[in-house]
Amino acid sequence: MSAAAKKRLREFRAPNEIGAEDRAWNVVREAYLDRQATVARRPRWRLALVPALAVIVAALVLSPAGASVRRLITHALGQKHAAPALFSLPSPGRILVSGPGGTWTATTDGSTRRLGPWQQASWSPHGLYVAVASGDQLAAVDPHGTIRWALARPSVSDPRWYSPSGYRVAYLSASTLRVVAGDGTGDHLLATRVARVAPAWRPGQAEGPYALAYVTARGRVVVRDAGSGKILWSAAPGTRPQELMWSNDGRRLLVLSPHEAWIYPANGGRPSTLALPRGEAASDGALSPDGRKLALVLGGREVIVAGAGSSTPSMRQVLAGPGVRAISWSPDGRWLLVSWPAANQWVFVRVTGAPRVAAVSRIAQQFSGGGGAARGFPQIEGWCCTAEGSAG
Amino acid sequence: MPAAAESVAVTGELGRRRARRPRSEQALIRGAIAGSEADLEALFRRFWPRAYRTAFLIVHDHAAAEDIAQEAFLAAIRRLDRFDRRRRFGPWLGAIVANRAIDWARVRTARRETSDSATDPASPPEVPLGRYSQEVLAALASLSPEHRAVIVLRYLLEYSPGEIARALELPRGTVNSRLRRGLDTLEIRLKELER
Repeated sequence: MSAAAKKRLREFRAPNEIGAEDRAWNVVREAYLDRQATVARRPRWRLALVPALAVIVAALVLSPAGASVRRLITHALGQKHAAPALFSLPSPGRILVSGPGGTWTATTDGSTRRLGPWQQASWSPHGLYVAVASGDQLAAVDPHGTIRWALARPSVSDPRWYSPSGYRVAYLSASTLRVVAGDGTGDHLLATRVARVAPAWRPGQAEGPYALAYVTARGRVVVRDAGSGKILWSAAPGTRPQELMWSNDGRRLLVLSPHEAWIYPANGGRPSTLALPRGEAASDGALSPDGRKLALVLGGREVIVAGAGSSTPSMRQVLAGPGVRAISWSPDGRWLLVSWPAANQWVFVRVTGAPRVAAVSRIAQQFSGGGGAARGFPQIEGWCCTAEGSAG
Repeated sequence: MPAAAESVAVTGELGRRRARRPRSEQALIRGAIAGSEADLEALFRRFWPRAYRTAFLIVHDHAAAEDIAQEAFLAAIRRLDRFDRRRRFGPWLGAIVANRAIDWARVRTARRETSDSATDPASPPEVPLGRYSQEVLAALASLSPEHRAVIVLRYLLEYSPGEIARALELPRGTVNSRLRRGLDTLEIRLKELER
């Protein structure tokens, strides 16, 4: 090989070396500090430094409206009163579900479409695509189920699109957090030792900054710039978070654990803490599209709605029934969709204006993909989209 | 070694900034094992550029290269306590990078990616390469990943054929034949591109 050719090889520079180096250093540094922390014995006195969060016990207020809803529910939820099939949605938009029967969409007129045999799914911000995951595969499909791109990574789960542009998709792979561009290119590692909690993008501008919240294996909440890899802030809420949600305006981050909920300001300042009534465990939570209301499933038997802007919110029960599981807001924030596997029903509850409920039965059969035989109750993945274009 | 890395290497312990002389690789490894983040950073900055370039020249995909080099460093961190300090860190890391890059290139077909790009999801434009680098890259693209790895280890990382054989767990004869064939192809391709 000529000396000139060897010289060329030695002087070769790869694209974006500096940016790649800085991103990688942040990840390597974090892994190193994590290792150091594991090796070092934690002094007991440090336990005393754990911030003492002010616990505000908010009384459950059963408002007159809530009581009337309860009466309505008592009469409406029997199998006799539930619609035998999903004929329409009470509010515009499309619902995305996944389960043993694969991933499906349900539209306003009640029509359903199977997108494929995926286990998890997530809307792109404008509902033009769906990120899907199953086993060792992550893919983006269009609303007809056609795969636009796919990539293989071990144990893929919880894909989430950046809003409002969809330029990035974050997802979990085994115990790592990874990010890929919205067109399937540039897949890279962002963090290691991550808990199995879906990451949450902070809504922002089309071109970023791409701030991403996730939970570490030790239960810390971390918000990180996915572009540079820098940690913007982190916090240890005290108990292990199970769900993260940003308000649509990106000004608040809701961190939900089984017995408490925290609402952090976007800069990671002091959170307001919400203790759940009567020590009930929350199995699911959802911020309304405007970020002002928080809906919670408590103890697997009731759904409450609380104000998310106050440290002492009043709470209103909107539904009670053994075995309720998950909730999702309609894009206009007027309805809650509650999944109720024990009754094999979906219940739509109007939470603004005059109370209304509408139940639909035989949900497992409608999303089974197997000729009507129930294969398990599907999970709600989102109700898309608002006029501004964000997935609900 | 870049100047920035040199300065980081001597700022590990404030108040003891003696000469701006680069610390030895062994000293940095000792420091990193003992808990010095500055030493770890110096080690990282010293070896990152070549690790990243090596991966990139083998896989020809900058995101994958970043991933491979990053994961090689993470593997190195995990094994830091058990690292044999008599060995050189660079060849050890380079072997991890090269083997991972070859593996990645081999299983690339497992990644079903279509060229369609959706209008909703999109990615920012790639950083363009200069013509000089493009020619090297184009010439290397005519080689298989295995041949690329041997050439890159020999002429970018300056390993001896014996070191390459150990790093890639290949017979010495195979390394020599891959080097010979790879160089011949590369030379021809570079001349074609120069015209």
